[in-house]
Amino acid sequence: MPEHIQEFGKYGARGIKGSAAVARRLDMLAGGIVTPITTRRGLLARLHYLTRTDHARSAAREAGLTVTDRTLKAWLEGRRSPSKRNLEKIERAYWTVRRQNVARYLVGRLNARGRGTRVELHPVNQSQVDRPRQRVVEFRTLNIRHWDQLVQAWSTGDTQAFDDAWTDQIVDLGSQWGQYEYVTNVGFAA
Amino acid sequence: MTDFGAIDALLAGARQEVPLPSVEVRRGLREGLNLSRAQVAQALGVSPSTVGGWESGRDPGGEVREKYAYFLDGARTWLEAQAEQAAEEVSADDDDASASGDAELEESEAGAAEAEGEAEGESETLAVAQPCVLCGHPARHQVAGFPQHLDPGECGGETATVSEPPAKPAAAPVAPPVKVVPVGRRVQAVSDGPDPIAAAVAGALAEHAGDVDAATAALIKRAIPDAMALLDSTRKGGRYDVVAHPWIPDILRKQTARGADQIWEARPKWARRELPPGAHEVTALDINGAYLSALKTHLPIGQLEHSTGFGHDRRRAGVHLITPPVWDHEAELPNPVGNRDEPGPLWVTEPTLRLLLRLSGPKYGLCEPPEIHESFTSGATENLLEKFRIALKDARDRAIEQDDEVTLEYVKAMYSKFVSTMGESNYNRELYRPDWMHLIRSQAFANLWTKAYKAYGEGLTVVRAMGTDELHVIGDWRSVFPEGRGVSEVKIKDTYTVGEDTDPAATGEHENEHED
Repeated sequence: MPEHIQEFGKYGARGIKGSAAVARRLDMLAGGIVTPITTRRGLLARLHYLTRTDHARSAAREAGLTVTDRTLKAWLEGRRSPSKRNLEKIERAYWTVRRQNVARYLVGRLNARGRGTRVELHPVNQSQVDRPRQRVVEFRTLNIRHWDQLVQAWSTGDTQAFDDAWTDQIVDLGSQWGQYEYVTNVGFAA
Repeated sequence: MTDFGAIDALLAGARQEVPLPSVEVRRGLREGLNLSRAQVAQALGVSPSTVGGWESGRDPGGEVREKYAYFLDGARTWLEAQAEQAAEEVSADDDDASASGDAELEESEAGAAEAEGEAEGESETLAVAQPCVLCGHPARHQVAGFPQHLDPGECGGETATVSEPPAKPAAAPVAPPVKVVPVGRRVQAVSDGPDPIAAAVAGALAEHAGDVDAATAALIKRAIPDAMALLDSTRKGGRYDVVAHPWIPDILRKQTARGADQIWEARPKWARRELPPGAHEVTALDINGAYLSALKTHLPIGQLEHSTGFGHDRRRAGVHLITPPVWDHEAELPNPVGNRDEPGPLWVTEPTLRLLLRLSGPKYGLCEPPEIHESFTSGATENLLEKFRIALKDARDRAIEQDDEVTLEYVKAMYSKFVSTMGESNYNRELYRPDWMHLIRSQAFANLWTKAYKAYGEGLTVVRAMGTDELHVIGDWRSVFPEGRGVSEVKIKDTYTVGEDTDPAATGEHENEHED
């Protein structure tokens, strides 16, 4: 699409990709264990979350935690501790499973029985751009009624699909939607 | 003796203030002459908004008052002359008119609301008496749209008409002007518009079959979404959008789930260390609707932007890292920064900073100006929540007038929960403005400090200033603060006595006072 920005930040504008801001916000809304995995408490909390039920175990295996049950038991009992690479795997599996579990409720809240959720788009920061190159980009709001695709792409961690789903939504802003491909912040609540 | 001589000279020199007509009359007179505020302001050497202020309740003083009185007097004379001329024309017309016309005129004067028939010449008879533009007393005629007395004898200055018996006793109390708002192409009286608060209360009462407690509980439960809906409806057509989810700097984020952020709200928690000997009657006063009044504060509209090393910009508001000035008046007045134990710089909000700047100014001179290190601010306006505040205040006033406890509790829940959940609360996800929450609270504390200072300035002894709305004073506080339930009034929370009388004479005096 011609509205896409090619070289963002060439003249000093600062911001992040809109979809990245949305993903960050969705992560914040989903919440989760904040204690770092490097501590015993954080590790145990994640392992408990991933091994509580058979369904959780299979979800964890699908999310990339391909270790034997014997190893998991040893980790949980503290006889062995996971290697650095396995810690990363646990962390990644935890967030994947967490997102999958939360997604259904998040979609329900965001769709709000068809009323949708108001999303605020805060434009890029142009304070470092030369005066002649600065453009008037206003604060805009948008009501998004269908969150299913967005949340689906977010829960599976498919960045490209998520970006496309987000672009589909901001096209509704009108002919200037390209100005909101990059933003400083995207605000909404569920 | 020389002292008394000086006082006598002072008394002799004091001039009596020129009496001015009432507020509505001032405006009527100016408009009667087809003059704009700016024209009048230029002639008097003041700003147009000052003239606007005089026409809406304020009174000028000193030399400019005399000028203004002279202008109003001249305008009245001119308008009276015009009215007389018009009356003569009317009477000439009446002579020519048929007898039936006269009869109709008589009838309509007796009270029948005939709109057309009597519109002879320029003068019209009014079915309902309206305040005369010249003297402010009810008149039953109007010339070119201006209600006034046709007979100059009836129309006099305020002092002249007070002694006269009113022509029609039924029309004597002047109805207050009707507030109108534009709705579509027409205007509508405010009272005819939709009133969501009254509708919600009526609905809840109907649903619970008049059970007041159940209805109140149900209303309190839905206070937060209702307050948000009211906010949305009051922002319709507003100049600024309410930015509900801006980027929030880390200082405004809670460090842990149950922790606090780094903002110091300057909550007063102050008690006087010592009192003069003897027994003192202390009155604990409660400021009504402190958070409701505090909704009028300079609120940052958009996303907060960082700045360092600059002075204070009056058009922006936010939070500031300051080093507070040393406070030398701890013995008689609370520190405007509150009860801070740690030294060093701290993050304060706009109302606290403005209070400190004001107190360091030449008018007060109570402290040094605070040193501003860095700020997170945005363009600010005082009017963002103004309509919202007025709507709630009107509902509250009406509820007090009608002794309607359900509405009162509902309104209270609306504004207090609105303020307490507008930050990072899970009970209100539509608005994430921790900065506003801090600013509004600080404004309430600054308002309490100002009240304490006022009491101190009027000679009362301030004993305690604590929380949002509690002020303990010794002395005749009724001459300083009006007592009542309105937002500009105070109510008594408690009275108690401190200390013991050692001097029997003082005790006797005290008791005598009580007998009086």
